Amino acid sequence: MLTIVRFLWASFAIWTAYALHPSEAGVVDWHKALLGVPLTRPDFHRTTGAHGATRSVVLTATSNNVIGAVHPENGTVAWRYLFEDRDPVVGYKAYNDRLATLSGPGGATFRILDVNSGHLLHELHLHSADSGRLFEPVNLGVAIAFDDSDKSKDTFVLTNGHTLRRINGKSGDIVWGWTSPDQTSLVVYSKVVTTSDAIYLIGLAKSFASYTVHVSAISPDNGELLSDADVPSSIINGPQGLIVVSHEGTRGKSVRLAWLEQARIHSVALTPQLKDKPTIKKGSAYLQVHDIGLQEKGLFVATKEDGSGRVIRFSEDGALKVFWEFADSSPKYTESTYAGGLDKDGWPYIARVYWSHVFRQASAHVLAPHLAEGKGLVTGFTFPFETQKHGIIANVAVDAANPEEFRVLSRLVLTTTTGAVQLWQQDQHQWTREESLADIRVAEMVELPEPQLVASQVGIEETESFGARLRRQLADAQDFPQYAINFAKRFATGSYASASSSIAPASNDTSPLSRDTFGFRKIIVAATSHGKVFGIDSANGEIIWSRVFGLGWAAEVGGRIFPLKIFTTRTVSDGDTPQVVIVGQRKADNSLVDTVAFHIDALTGEDVSGTSIGQDILQGQDVIAGALVEAYLFQDGPTKYVVLLDEYLQVHLFPDTPENADSFHKVAPSIHLPLRTGTAGSHRLGGHKVSPEKEFTGRHIAYPIWTASLPPNEDVRSIVTRPHEPVASLGKVLGNRTTLYKYLNPGVVVVLTSTSTPSGPATSCGVYVIDGTKGTILYHANLPAAGGVCDVKAAFTENWLVYHYYDDGSANADQAKSYRMVSLEFYEGSGVDDKTSSSDLSAYSNDTTRISVYEQSYVFPRGISTITTTSTKFGITVKDILVAGNNHQVQSFPRRFLDPRRPNRKPTAEEQEEWLIQYDPLLPDDPKRVLSHRYQVARIRKIITSPALLESTSLVFGYGVDLFFTRVAPSKTFDVLNENFNKAQLVLTVAGLALAIVITKPMVRRKRLRERWYAS
Amino acid sequence: MSTTTLEPSKWKHLPPPPGFAQTPVATKTSGKVSSSSSAASYAALKEKRAWDFAISPAKSLPMQAFMLYMSGGGVQIFSMGIVFMLLSSPFKNLAAINSAFAPFAPTPSSHDKTASQVDPKAFTTLPLQKIVYIICNLLTLALGLWKCRSMGLLPTGTGDWLAFETRGSPPEIVLL
Repeated sequence: MLTIVRFLWASFAIWTAYALHPSEAGVVDWHKALLGVPLTRPDFHRTTGAHGATRSVVLTATSNNVIGAVHPENGTVAWRYLFEDRDPVVGYKAYNDRLATLSGPGGATFRILDVNSGHLLHELHLHSADSGRLFEPVNLGVAIAFDDSDKSKDTFVLTNGHTLRRINGKSGDIVWGWTSPDQTSLVVYSKVVTTSDAIYLIGLAKSFASYTVHVSAISPDNGELLSDADVPSSIINGPQGLIVVSHEGTRGKSVRLAWLEQARIHSVALTPQLKDKPTIKKGSAYLQVHDIGLQEKGLFVATKEDGSGRVIRFSEDGALKVFWEFADSSPKYTESTYAGGLDKDGWPYIARVYWSHVFRQASAHVLAPHLAEGKGLVTGFTFPFETQKHGIIANVAVDAANPEEFRVLSRLVLTTTTGAVQLWQQDQHQWTREESLADIRVAEMVELPEPQLVASQVGIEETESFGARLRRQLADAQDFPQYAINFAKRFATGSYASASSSIAPASNDTSPLSRDTFGFRKIIVAATSHGKVFGIDSANGEIIWSRVFGLGWAAEVGGRIFPLKIFTTRTVSDGDTPQVVIVGQRKADNSLVDTVAFHIDALTGEDVSGTSIGQDILQGQDVIAGALVEAYLFQDGPTKYVVLLDEYLQVHLFPDTPENADSFHKVAPSIHLPLRTGTAGSHRLGGHKVSPEKEFTGRHIAYPIWTASLPPNEDVRSIVTRPHEPVASLGKVLGNRTTLYKYLNPGVVVVLTSTSTPSGPATSCGVYVIDGTKGTILYHANLPAAGGVCDVKAAFTENWLVYHYYDDGSANADQAKSYRMVSLEFYEGSGVDDKTSSSDLSAYSNDTTRISVYEQSYVFPRGISTITTTSTKFGITVKDILVAGNNHQVQSFPRRFLDPRRPNRKPTAEEQEEWLIQYDPLLPDDPKRVLSHRYQVARIRKIITSPALLESTSLVFGYGVDLFFTRVAPSKTFDVLNENFNKAQLVLTVAGLALAIVITKPMVRRKRLRERWYAS
Repeated sequence: MSTTTLEPSKWKHLPPPPGFAQTPVATKTSGKVSSSSSAASYAALKEKRAWDFAISPAKSLPMQAFMLYMSGGGVQIFSMGIVFMLLSSPFKNLAAINSAFAPFAPTPSSHDKTASQVDPKAFTTLPLQKIVYIICNLLTLALGLWKCRSMGLLPTGTGDWLAFETRGSPPEIVLL
């Protein structure tokens, strides 16, 4: 009993010791909440409070399937609502204090959120996700309209292209529903307009070569069809060109539907009887009509063929009239972007924003139609938009105020092609949110150089005179008193750098980037799929530099760059500034794919290769004219370079210098490559060697030597490799001091597969451990494919493999459904002290397959999105498992609990010496080990770890929607003095002892002398 | 302090100055008859003492074993002190073996001229006793080593040499 109590005490002590201390929260970690890159134009939304005070938020739906609101004053996130991946947002609309959203296929789920707080008020499943109709684009066939005729707050929701429902605003219940009786017809509704008399559903019916407008009028009270009419029309480019303008007149709301047909604006008045005939607006030819969000104010913009835009107004007399013309378009400007907004009193404003190639500035014109006695007033300004840093303006939202007559103040929210969201107040930049960081593809932590020590002159000692040298040395020594005082203070008070303090530089710090005492500060180089690469300070998450990827020749046709790999080709320990190479694929809009490499200085973001000029766009080098199969970092002594394989398995080197080519040529005969090849659904794993001599193409070519013997219907989903990090110990010493030698064959890879019938979901998943040099299967496990999806996550380091999957209990009736985590260790030979020296054994030796496997399976508390292990400088520290759970948290699981050698009985004394504890199927879910504590770290897609200078500490950076950085010490910070260590006491004790020696020494000497005199 | 405080007891083993012999003269005159028998008994006594001395390390073994048992299996200052003593004392004893046995060397008789050449500090004097003494000391050493082993201080397992193992680079390069 006593031993149990003692053991509990000990384990409790260990747990508390590992946990994150409250004083470290927010100090050692940071979290950046992001929304994602806005998909559409953001909206300013203003609500009026109880006392007439107004609040505005900027609403946006993003590519990360998030709807969020940003405070326009400072750019912080007011709230966000994370939609599940299988529940994509297809539409949203805000009205007064509520925001209605539709998500899922065909708008399966309807939600009402509070627009100021983001709280979910109502949620309603309108149809099952399977019965949802999939449209292209997704927002076709769904629409939301609010009943503005009375205060009922009811919502009209169009889903699936043919079902309209009225939803009670208070209870969230369906009042009535109407489904198009003729569902098989080709009419797909896409717009809803409400008036007090009728609800108009506007859709398109497919006819020969074009679409015809179809309108249905439905009674708002009971959902009965009032009338139904085809409007004679012929529309070519879908429902985007349909514009419904309405006007609140003295006789109620009048509505008119307008569209572009054969370069003329056609329009028809909507009445409950739908009797009106379309009219054609005479005059200029138009190229396009733009919905600027002011349809309810009766305004929209049409652009003419010469690019100039006209504001068209639905006037009192029921006709569409040109109200204003934004003239002077010329090739000196880019195409204009138009946006509409409302001020506090509900007056509309229209903004036109364009970029001037001549002035290299952005210009904005804001039209206030109601000013200047209703003739309209335009206010123009230019603002210094940095197109080199942020790309091209994609969308604009405007918000305006009219503090005095003839004066319009406007705020513009811009979204750019690189994913930035900016707010400009007139020409003043207010804030920028780099939302592309929610879509990081590759990231790497790069070590910073040491602080530069002041050495005023080096290497001129031989030539300078004595006097000059004396003066120089005196000048160098002028800081000495300060140093001495600091040293004494440091020594006396023990105020050394602490392992748990913040390393963020002061905000006014202008000194160059340098690492801190323990190397906790690194630079995170992160490349996003929105064509931008960032250098992020790991101390506080600030962006130090950012560069926009250049498209090379594809700049003329347009394209995108998808970063695939990042390699640190030079580190600080190589003696100079660190450099990284980003390998990406450029998909040009003309469907050509190239592989590009960007070689940049990690500290400044400057182009190392020198092809880009100054701070202009970062230009890469086209390495392969075609797709990339795989890229590796190859290290040969001090030189590092990137080895790339193209589709024909030709070897390309980057940088392609003669030295690198020589170096590669020397080692080419001994290179082995396991590669995942094949097409989607039938990927295979094959081993390759590289031809020792260059082929006639002037390149080495990899040729296949084996294929993994997997069943033909098994698809290789991914290959998990070990991180390149040192292994501190070659074996595991047991309690009786025998050794289990770790199986450290450098060619071992973990292969995750899925088995499926030719046309259907996966039936089972596989985990293989394969020797990548010769294709031997060392370990194989078959896992259930829950829901027909293989979602196995694996982390592999040294000889330890951990994988995670969901067991739906289908294999065995007794088995419970649960998430499982399996921990495996591979050891050499058949048991203890059986050594095969696997880490330097030839791959063709028979001993490579002589291994023993320890395996233990645990029940894991939840699903995860990524899994990784900590990494430290020398690999001495115990490795913990880090996971990002589906509860939006990052949590660590100690190796002790995942040890596959945990005995199934009470541990013996020898096992206790190894700190083994009895096997327990349930992994403890310790809330103290949640690294992200109170942060909601949304949808972490990947966690990367990197060693600090301190052996005990590992740096952790997770990215997904949010960014999260912290540092962990799995074995506690054993290499620094404890924070609670009483330095003063030690110093006082030592000083006291020294004093005692000084005092007693002469006394003892006197006594000795006297003893000699009077000895006998 | 003054000279009167001298303690004579401290120096009582010093030989008396010439002419100040403490032994009464009468003993010299007790006769030559008993001198030979007393010399023999003295030699026997010396031999017995030599044997006693030779097996003295073995006599203390049970006591030391008990102390080891009491000191426990942990590596602490007390157990380490005992183990250190156990390991070092045999070597110390063996280094001083000849001088330790010198007092027990048989005294050369005045009439035996050849015996006078026997050096009391030679290894060949009292050989049997010395061999037994060495064996007993080895027993002590063995006890110490056994304790070291049970405490895990002897590098007997492969685990103790793991840190010195090295591996080269493999002949094949695998790009991963």
